[in-house]
Amino acid sequence: MTIDAPRPHAATTPSFAAVAEELLDDVYGYLLYLTKNWAVAEDLTGETFEAAFKKWRRFDPGRGTPRAWLLAIARSTALDWFRADARRRRREERVGSAERRDDTDTFGEGFSAELAESLQSLSAGEREVVALRIVLDLDGEETARLLGISVTAVSTRLSRALSKLEERMRDHDVVA
Amino acid sequence: MTSSPDLIHELRAARPSAPAELRTRIRALATEPERTVRAPWAGWRFPVRRGLLVAVPAAAALALASAGVLGLARSDSPQAVGRDAAEKSTLQMATPQRMPNAGVNGGANPSPLGAADATTADQARTLAPTADNRAQKVGATLTVEVKDSDAVSRAAQSALDLTRTLGGFVVSSSVATGDEGSASITVRVPVDKVQDAIAGLSGLGRIVSQNVTIEDRQESIDAFVRRSRSVRSQIALVTARLESETLNADTRALLEARLKNLKLDLLGARRSLGTLRAEARMSTIQLTVVTPEAFGAVAPPSRIDRTIDEALNVLAWEGVVALGMLIVLAPFALVAGAVWLGRRLYRRHEEERLLAA
Repeated sequence: MTIDAPRPHAATTPSFAAVAEELLDDVYGYLLYLTKNWAVAEDLTGETFEAAFKKWRRFDPGRGTPRAWLLAIARSTALDWFRADARRRRREERVGSAERRDDTDTFGEGFSAELAESLQSLSAGEREVVALRIVLDLDGEETARLLGISVTAVSTRLSRALSKLEERMRDHDVVA
Repeated sequence: MTSSPDLIHELRAARPSAPAELRTRIRALATEPERTVRAPWAGWRFPVRRGLLVAVPAAAALALASAGVLGLARSDSPQAVGRDAAEKSTLQMATPQRMPNAGVNGGANPSPLGAADATTADQARTLAPTADNRAQKVGATLTVEVKDSDAVSRAAQSALDLTRTLGGFVVSSSVATGDEGSASITVRVPVDKVQDAIAGLSGLGRIVSQNVTIEDRQESIDAFVRRSRSVRSQIALVTARLESETLNADTRALLEARLKNLKLDLLGARRSLGTLRAEARMSTIQLTVVTPEAFGAVAPPSRIDRTIDEALNVLAWEGVVALGMLIVLAPFALVAGAVWLGRRLYRRHEEERLLAA
């Protein structure tokens, strides 16, 4: 199945449909790692592509790759969701536990139980850097630019996250 | 990375794939006609950096162009610049040549004039004393410019001839010829002829500067006349007493001493009176004749010079306006910058807090 581009763009710029087709998994994977909830990740992926579709005219290939551009939109969308979620949690705390929503986190299919549980123990920031550097295989500079931190900070955060993850996985092995 | 390759391999193997339902939804979104999503102009945002890259050079070019155009337009009237230069040189020349007594006495009435183009006899008459019966000291300083050294000699000779014709005399005369010829002549002419003298001397060349001072001497003369009368009457009284035969020797000696002093006073008053009347009878005129080279006259600036001069003036004003705007806007820009920075730091902090969970 082919997807038509929403509008003609510069010759060097791929069509939005092609970009969406190619990068959908990356955006979804990134959001899944960040939110550790497949349902939320699906919703946020949809929102990300809607926003990207509206902003596609403004995309400048000279300033970055479509993947970096889409991931930046995805990150902004996810942060908005985190803010809203924090507000919701505070509201629920005020009202009481009776109205508390069932928000059990799950990575969904494809993850072993040990890996999923180990990933759950990481902070969102740590999961984010693992997703970008290991899963999506972005280089350090691109990741640093996306996160708005230095390359050294990216390396440090990744190292800490992997150590923690490895430790958790080892704990699981010992228990098993 | 120090983590085991197995972990990394497992992470990469578990790379998530978007569910089919989501993929279908995104495909459907991508195939939507653009017009249903937004208008062509919607979402357009002003590119600030690119805008500044264009706006700053454009503003500089506009400032330069407007300065150039205004400078070119204003350079059409060289008289304005020439007049300014003439006024400046007139002031420079007139100030040091004012008569030394000007303004010293209470009745002084100095009237320095820089009428460079006052060349007619009628204009000269307006500079002369106007009171008919009052004694006045009149002085004039004139600088005229002639074309060359030969003309300096001719003008000097004409000035001497005119002085004699008017019944005056030459106090001093100095004529230098050569490449930068000049003449300096001081003459005295009867006060009733000073108008004719100024008119005649003004006609010797182009007037560069002209300065006429009039000082009233009538009050001083009247005071000395009264003083003389008083002294004379005192002398008459003392003389009458001395002729009396009843005076003893001491009194006579005192009266004789007083008579001697009174006579000296009378003599001094008469001399002063004579000096004042002489000043009021004859006016002093200092004439300087110069050539353009000796005067150091500056050639009128060319059109290009005037254009550059005016353009620089316009640029200076533009700079003043820009600086003023900067001073006014700087506090607002600082506040806006601080707000922007604070907001950015807050958001960064908030992001870190959210992602730390």
